[in-house]
Amino acid sequence: MSLRLGLGIFGMQSVPQRPDHHAKLYRDVLEDAEIAEALGFDSIWLSEHHFWFDGYCPADIAVAGAILGRTERLGVGTAVMLLPMHSVQKVAGDAATIGRLGEGRLSLGVALGYRDAEFDGFGVRRKDRGKLMDVALPLLAASCAASNPRVPLYVGVATAVAAQRAARLGLPLFADSTMNPMELGEMLEAYNAAAAAAGVDPPRNHAVQRDVFVTDDRERDWAMLLPELRYMRRQYGGWSFPQQAGESVQAYLGRLEADIEAKLKNLIIGDATVVAARLREFEALGFDLIVCRSQFGNLPRESLHRAFAGLGRVNEELSR
Amino acid sequence: MRLGLGPISLRGATRESLAGMAAQAVASSFDSMWVAESHEDGAGGGLAAAALLAQAVPIRLGAVVDVGLYHPLFLAEDIAIADLTSEGRIEVILRMATAGQRDLLEEHIEVLALALSGAHIKWTGKHLRVPAGIQANQPAPRRLALNPRPAQPAVPIWIESSETWVEELSRRLGFGVAARWWPGAPAPAATGRWPGMLLCPTEVQPDDLLNAAGEGAGYFVVAARNPQEAALAGRRLAGPLRMPEFPEWINADQPI
Repeated sequence: MSLRLGLGIFGMQSVPQRPDHHAKLYRDVLEDAEIAEALGFDSIWLSEHHFWFDGYCPADIAVAGAILGRTERLGVGTAVMLLPMHSVQKVAGDAATIGRLGEGRLSLGVALGYRDAEFDGFGVRRKDRGKLMDVALPLLAASCAASNPRVPLYVGVATAVAAQRAARLGLPLFADSTMNPMELGEMLEAYNAAAAAAGVDPPRNHAVQRDVFVTDDRERDWAMLLPELRYMRRQYGGWSFPQQAGESVQAYLGRLEADIEAKLKNLIIGDATVVAARLREFEALGFDLIVCRSQFGNLPRESLHRAFAGLGRVNEELSR
Repeated sequence: MRLGLGPISLRGATRESLAGMAAQAVASSFDSMWVAESHEDGAGGGLAAAALLAQAVPIRLGAVVDVGLYHPLFLAEDIAIADLTSEGRIEVILRMATAGQRDLLEEHIEVLALALSGAHIKWTGKHLRVPAGIQANQPAPRRLALNPRPAQPAVPIWIESSETWVEELSRRLGFGVAARWWPGAPAPAATGRWPGMLLCPTEVQPDDLLNAAGEGAGYFVVAARNPQEAALAGRRLAGPLRMPEFPEWINADQPI
């Protein structure tokens, strides 16, 4: 199968540096989906978090419904739904209906989730998330496989342990953007070994998420992107390893900064030729879908659409 | 007076069948088109389906959703996002899935109302604690808020029930009351902003509905099995509900 490109992930955040009303942000994402379809992308992917001040999208399947209603061909996926917080009966029922109304275009990516405040909101102990996932994932996998049409299910992973859980169930991976190619390679090895040990013939249609920005003017766009990328990385970093009790904001930001610098190195930025070559490396690792994130916060519309058009040229080149 | 079409069960529904009904709802002058989820039958996604249909038609979209089956904050989030993607055209009927557990249902409905209000919530009840304040979850704030909020200042929500305690609860929370029609049934009393709603069979007649509304207003959601039935119901009901002493000759068959 040839390499496919998706757009995402989208969180519809009213970020402090450009705080648009959410009515506009959702109008924008529907427009972005139409553009993605017109440019020939495989799919668009939506992200989920809860109770955050910038209104990070908390209900992916509802947005997926709207996008499926607006488009005719484009795939729509969740990347990722935080399954241990949810009722698996609700997710399975929602996916069955929207998979059918979307005529097979809905995919689900699910992962553990990590932010304590979100678990606490729904009355779930964060520490139980692995156990809850072990129960919920086989149930959801069975329901997705039995749905008509089938709803493809991916397991979002950022660690080898999570990949091994997916391997035992024979489910494909949706790899997080923060892993570098070496880490991804090691994770796939652990995945394949766990599948072999469980006697499972592993699927090979894995997805990976990357931060990608296609531009003919790297210098100009890097200056524009840096504050957006810093906001995004500060937010995810702040959720992954929170400020400790008694730690000053200044000391904490210093600790975050090292992580932000490391993660920024994973950004793929350049013209279409450069980006196409970089994306081929992930195909060689064993991924057949690359979900490219160019919307980091709430970029000016014309800059974002220029990047989408550039990525559209990459998509054409890769599908040749 | 308002006129809705449906609710149409999402069990086995296809995009084509729903889009056909939605287009007929527009052509036949309905104010809204309704779909119904039923998680007990494996058909969820009521609000996502309404969001999908909102892209196809310009009228309002209603979702009948289960309440009491899963955490009410998920329901609040679905309502907010469906309302934002449809630019403020979502309406909701809460259907109480677990009969008999009044205290649980009451708590779920209260937390839903609180979340949609935009308040910074702290709820401590018998069934729900929001946020839970679980010791091991650190850091977690002592309150939380639904974010983003819906596009409408108040999303119209009805609770389907014939019980007195539901009417009292609806009145207190600013929700409407919905009931099933029977010959001679009055429309439920208006509560807060919303008229009482009656869920009617397809053969219902204009006089039935006008009698049901009495001196007040009513919201009548009329069932139909196919676009032809929807067209007939719309033609028969839309005029009389919108104008007192509607001239019957408008809808009468042409003389040969």
